[in-house]
Amino acid sequence: MIGGLFIYNHKGEVLISRVYRDDIGRNAVDAFRVNVIHARQQVRSPVTNIARTSFFHVKRSNIWLAAVTKQNVNAAMVFEFLYKMCDVMAAYFGKISEENIKNNFVLIYELLDEILDFGYPQNSETGALKTFITQQGIKSQHQTKEEQSQITSQVTGQIGWRREGIKYRRNELFLDVLESVNLLMSPQGQVLSAHVSGRVVMKSYLSGMPECKFGMNDKIVIEKQGKGTADETSKSGKQSIAIHDCTFHQCVRLSKFDSERSISFIPPDGEFELMRYRTTKDIILPFRVIPLVREVGHTKLEVKVVIKSNFKPSLLAQKIEVRIPTPLNTSGVQVICMKGKAKYKTSENAIVWKIKRMAGMKESQISAEIELLPTNDKKKWARPPISMNFEVPFAPSGLKVRYLKVFEPKLNYSDHDVIKWVRYIGRSGIYETRC
Amino acid sequence: MPYLGSEDVVKELKKALCNPHIQADRLRYRSVIQRVIRHMTQGVDMSGVFMEMVKASATVDIVQKKLVYLYMCTYAPLKPDLALLAINTLCKDCSDPNPMVRGLALRSMCSLRMPGVQEYIQQPILNGLRDKASYVRRVAVLGCAKMHNLHGDSEVDGALVNELYSLLRDQDPIVVVNCLRSLEEILKQEGGVVINKPIAHHLLNRMSKLDQWGQAEVLNFLLRYQPRSEEELFDILNLLDSFLKSSSPGVVMGATKLFLILAKKFPHVQTDVLMQVKGPLLAACSSESRELCFAALCHVRQILHSLPGHFSSHYKKFFCSYSEPHYIKLQKVEVLCELVNDENVQQVLEELRGYCTDVSADFAQAAILAIGGIARTYTDQCMQILTELLGLRQEHITTVVVQTFRDLAWLCPQCTEAVCQALPGCEENIQDSEGKQALIWLLGVHGKRIPNAPYVLEDFIENVKSETFPAVKMELLTAVLRLFLSRPAECQDMLGRLLHYCIEEEKDMAVRDRGLFYYRLLLAGISEAKQILCSPESDPSLRLLEDQAERPVNSWALDFNTLVPVYGKARWATIAKCQGVEHHGPELPNTAAFPTSGSLIPEENKERVQELPDSGALMLIPNHQLTAECFEKTWLSLKVAHQQVFPWQGAVHPDTLQMALQVVNIQTIAMSRAGTQPWKAYLSAQDDTGCLFLTELLLEPANLQMQISVKQSEARTETLKSFISVLETVIGTIGDIKS
Repeated sequence: MIGGLFIYNHKGEVLISRVYRDDIGRNAVDAFRVNVIHARQQVRSPVTNIARTSFFHVKRSNIWLAAVTKQNVNAAMVFEFLYKMCDVMAAYFGKISEENIKNNFVLIYELLDEILDFGYPQNSETGALKTFITQQGIKSQHQTKEEQSQITSQVTGQIGWRREGIKYRRNELFLDVLESVNLLMSPQGQVLSAHVSGRVVMKSYLSGMPECKFGMNDKIVIEKQGKGTADETSKSGKQSIAIHDCTFHQCVRLSKFDSERSISFIPPDGEFELMRYRTTKDIILPFRVIPLVREVGHTKLEVKVVIKSNFKPSLLAQKIEVRIPTPLNTSGVQVICMKGKAKYKTSENAIVWKIKRMAGMKESQISAEIELLPTNDKKKWARPPISMNFEVPFAPSGLKVRYLKVFEPKLNYSDHDVIKWVRYIGRSGIYETRC
Repeated sequence: MPYLGSEDVVKELKKALCNPHIQADRLRYRSVIQRVIRHMTQGVDMSGVFMEMVKASATVDIVQKKLVYLYMCTYAPLKPDLALLAINTLCKDCSDPNPMVRGLALRSMCSLRMPGVQEYIQQPILNGLRDKASYVRRVAVLGCAKMHNLHGDSEVDGALVNELYSLLRDQDPIVVVNCLRSLEEILKQEGGVVINKPIAHHLLNRMSKLDQWGQAEVLNFLLRYQPRSEEELFDILNLLDSFLKSSSPGVVMGATKLFLILAKKFPHVQTDVLMQVKGPLLAACSSESRELCFAALCHVRQILHSLPGHFSSHYKKFFCSYSEPHYIKLQKVEVLCELVNDENVQQVLEELRGYCTDVSADFAQAAILAIGGIARTYTDQCMQILTELLGLRQEHITTVVVQTFRDLAWLCPQCTEAVCQALPGCEENIQDSEGKQALIWLLGVHGKRIPNAPYVLEDFIENVKSETFPAVKMELLTAVLRLFLSRPAECQDMLGRLLHYCIEEEKDMAVRDRGLFYYRLLLAGISEAKQILCSPESDPSLRLLEDQAERPVNSWALDFNTLVPVYGKARWATIAKCQGVEHHGPELPNTAAFPTSGSLIPEENKERVQELPDSGALMLIPNHQLTAECFEKTWLSLKVAHQQVFPWQGAVHPDTLQMALQVVNIQTIAMSRAGTQPWKAYLSAQDDTGCLFLTELLLEPANLQMQISVKQSEARTETLKSFISVLETVIGTIGDIKS
């Protein structure tokens, strides 16, 4: 149970404050500002206890969201709720920033009124909320009877995530496989840990109550099917992937997944996250970073970093950014790079090397000479890792969408009539190489 | 908190709200109202425009209505008479054809926290419960709880409760969950909503229809259901199996807890469940949502307490990444320290060594402490790393390393040799009091093996005048005296100087007294001094106890998925105690025991050791049950072992006292009602050796005293003393809360 919800800007000014329970007073707002936002130190824990009141806080860009309670609640649930809150707000007005929150503060109060009642989470599905909280808001008098009943059935329907009677002239669906690949590599090029966390996001514009079936190159399924024809196993065996654990949107029938490992569902209308998964084996690491750091005396460092792209030459990686940390006492930097642009950023203590595009199986190099100021600080430079950002047009986990079939028995369109789009995007999560 | 100049703002807004031109222009009117809310958010007192805002509620603009209702809910307690004017509009809205308007009005009306509103809301709520739109029913159901809260703790309306129970069968999933929540609040005094077999199975069948919040909530309510038979139990577990793989970590944790509690008599099922949730938990631990990751790590630590090997093969998942926030790194280091085993020790230590030179001093120190923890099992490898760290000659590293050395020398005597070899030279890099104390202690106790110990201590003595911490001075006195006893020739002179300084010039009384004490001790003769000061140099038993302590899953299952693993047991205990012990239900088993000695516990272990008794301490067993007859018989057959009076003022709250005693595992056999004179209570407790403690509390308000008589089944004065001190603490605490 959540006693109150507050939103602050980075200065600690209250942008939104909504109290749900009597036991949370106005002083709680100030207590959080003084003890957490104004405390000039790192956040020690995302759960802070001040005077027997627990503050669960999440920071998005420079906005603080805090849920407050005096009860012994489940921490995971409260954080999930805050994330959900952020998602809902983002679905309404995009990025969560001070300006957006100030401009939409009426809307946020409306949302807070619906999502929580007496501190208990109520309906939090963006799709459902959007039907009755609209940004114009003055719907009450213009609404037709039909519209009204539609809203009611949406808000109260048996299948909470889809209303009846949806119609599209063009039945279309978009599948995005979004992955973030995480890596921690030792200076010698040994993988210390690597995992991919992925999401399959679906945008569906389908009429009626379509029954969908989604298939991918899941090892367990492929092996099961492969038993019949030995030929197929050898063909697809190396392409299948082992999915570590996966979770689904509420609409997927879990019982079917457990028994047959097939993913079938009636999708919500519009955009939603179909599944989330994680893999740790046989990850395609799109880039290798090979660092070489040499200390020349006490006042000079020579850094050479080579990056190698490790994917099909026909594909192009984008938005590549390599961040090479420099010591705090750096006085000057000279950089030479073969490709892209590199700059030394004093404020961030790093050399930032940006390359717009890079094809697979290529390599590029940067070398830098770093001049150091002599210091009497005996502390050795800790050498933070070199981190990388990029975007590639394939799934580093190796996941492939095999099919997405649509059945709508009541309306006269078949699987062939649906226009389907699939897209793979692999992004870097925390992609670090120690040096 | 009214801000400066708020009066002008209120005046201006009041004028604007009254302006007929603005009222006519819908958008302008709404924007003025928005400004009122904006000021309200920032903490400006806007109650001055209440009247005008009430008028603004009569509108067709739903957004405007919402804003006005929000305003009224905030200020109604301040202006109850004016708020009554708004009731009329609200009541009218409650019968609007649009269900959204009905729901909104009902919700707002129930949230007007002011006296006297009950009589107006009762009928609309009852109508709402039977409304055909589930949106309104949801609101009405929670409205019942709000209404009950307004009443205070008055009697429960039986008819309403029955209606709510029947609504548990409602079509709409959110109505069902809201019913549970509402009943829980209304029936709080009677122990909350009752989950019998039909309700439990009904809820289980509806689970898949609920959203994640509903599922988490229902899982929590199901905790109090006790299946009748083993067969039913396993049926339930089968039904719940899929929730262990839910996409919401909160639901996964809730399901895990339910499994652990339901299967409390089947340890293999519990282990099995923990195996199953390993994947989801690891996923949460490496998720990009950092706060969630933190919560998951706290629970991983909790599991590791009972199953140390559980995550050992996944140790790489707990390696820290540079950009992670501080709180995650600290948790991960703790986890690494606990999952270490023969296979991964090399890699884990390699990793931890890297952290020791981190830019953040806090994190570096945590890593060093973790290595110190691992050193208790893998001494040689760790000693080597720690010794190398000294070579860096950095203050913040050296001080923690020396503190770790002190603890190691105390706990594992086999390290002493290595520690003594590493020590020379450290003194140059230690500035803080903790580090100095540790170094001086080591020099004193193991000085005979460190050739230059007297010279280091002499340096400290020369600078003693500028030393700011009395604790360092005390440590220095003891160390020099100890070293003098083993190496008299080298230390006699400086001991004299130090004693002279402490007795003649020192201003801190504790240090002065300690100096005088040692002086007199030396006067009594060297052999006497030796006898008194020659304490043991190490105590490996402390470590053994810590290793042996088995923490069965059941000891923390009830705390799983609450704030306890997040805050840590010790910290939560203090928070909960101040909150009036509301989270410790009478049946909660609690393994808390009171250690009676604290001085020998090294700083870093304090938290951990607090859960465990050390060798001399008294350990009262939880769940000790003694029947009243049995108590009476034993009571009559024994003699009073101890009698004592404590000061006490005013009356007793038997419930609070009983609950507080329960926390320390003392069972209450019988108690008089509150306010009886004289007031009496009989208590019983049993320690791990089987010794019974029977106690009578007698309170005669006229004397302002509480008389305590304790009888013991086996005469042992040491445990008796500990028991009395436990009792004293509890009664003292309860007394404090009251006053």
